[in-house]
Amino acid sequence: MLGELLHILAAAIVSWILFVTVDIFFRLPEAGGVSGASAIARDIEAGGGALAGGTMMGNIVCSPDASAGTLLAACGVYVAGIPGGLVAAALVFIGNRICHDPGYAGTTGAVLATFVVYGFTLVGFAATDFIAGMVIAILTIQGLSHAHASRLLARLWRVRQ
Amino acid sequence: MIAIYLVAALAVFAAIRATVEKNTGRKLPYVNVMNFAIAGTIVLLLDHPLALVAAAAYFVGSTLEANAIASTYAGGERRG
Repeated sequence: MLGELLHILAAAIVSWILFVTVDIFFRLPEAGGVSGASAIARDIEAGGGALAGGTMMGNIVCSPDASAGTLLAACGVYVAGIPGGLVAAALVFIGNRICHDPGYAGTTGAVLATFVVYGFTLVGFAATDFIAGMVIAILTIQGLSHAHASRLLARLWRVRQ
Repeated sequence: MIAIYLVAALAVFAAIRATVEKNTGRKLPYVNVMNFAIAGTIVLLLDHPLALVAAAAYFVGSTLEANAIASTYAGGERRG
C-alpha cells in the first residue's frame, strides 16, 4: 500500500513536469483562447494571482490541454496499451476542435504521455498510478491555491520567454 | 486499488471547493479538477476499452460546458 502511494506520488511529479512543459512550450499563458479563458484569468488576478498563470489556467479549463491529454493517455494505456493511448490522443484532438481551440498542446501531450506512461509500466509502475497521479498534478494547479499556482506558472512563463 | 479511492476523494474535495467558492471565474478551475477526477474514476471503475471513450466523452463534454459558462460569464463573443 505504501509502495503504491509512493508510485502515485512519483507519477504525479512526472505528469506535472510533462504537462506544464508542453503547455508552456505551446504558449498557453500568452493569450486566452476564448473570451472565457481571459475572464477566468482576470478573476484569478483579482484574487491575488498573476495574469499569465491565470490565462494558462483559464485555457486549461476551456479546452483539453496537455494535462487532459496526459490523463486520457494514461487511461488509454491502462485499458489497451499504446494503441489505447493513441486513441486517447485522437479523442483529445477531436475535443480541441469541439472546444474552438486551434492548438495542438492536448494532442502532443497525449502522444508524449502515452510513451512516458508505457515506459514507466515497464519499470514496475501501473498505468493506474498515472491516472491518480495526473489528478493530483492538476489539483496542485487548479484546486489548491489559484494565487500561488498562477504566480508559479507566470514565473515559469518568464523563463520560457 | 488505492488509486480509485484517492481519485474519488479528490472529486468530492473539488466539488466541495467549487460549491463554497462564490466567484464564477475562480469556481471553474475547481470544477475542472472534479472533471479530471470523475473521468479517471470512470476508467478505474470500468477496465474496458470502451471506458476510455466514455471518459473522453464525459471530459470533452464537461470541458465544453465550462468553456460555454466561462464565455457567457465574460459577456460572450462580440460581433460587429
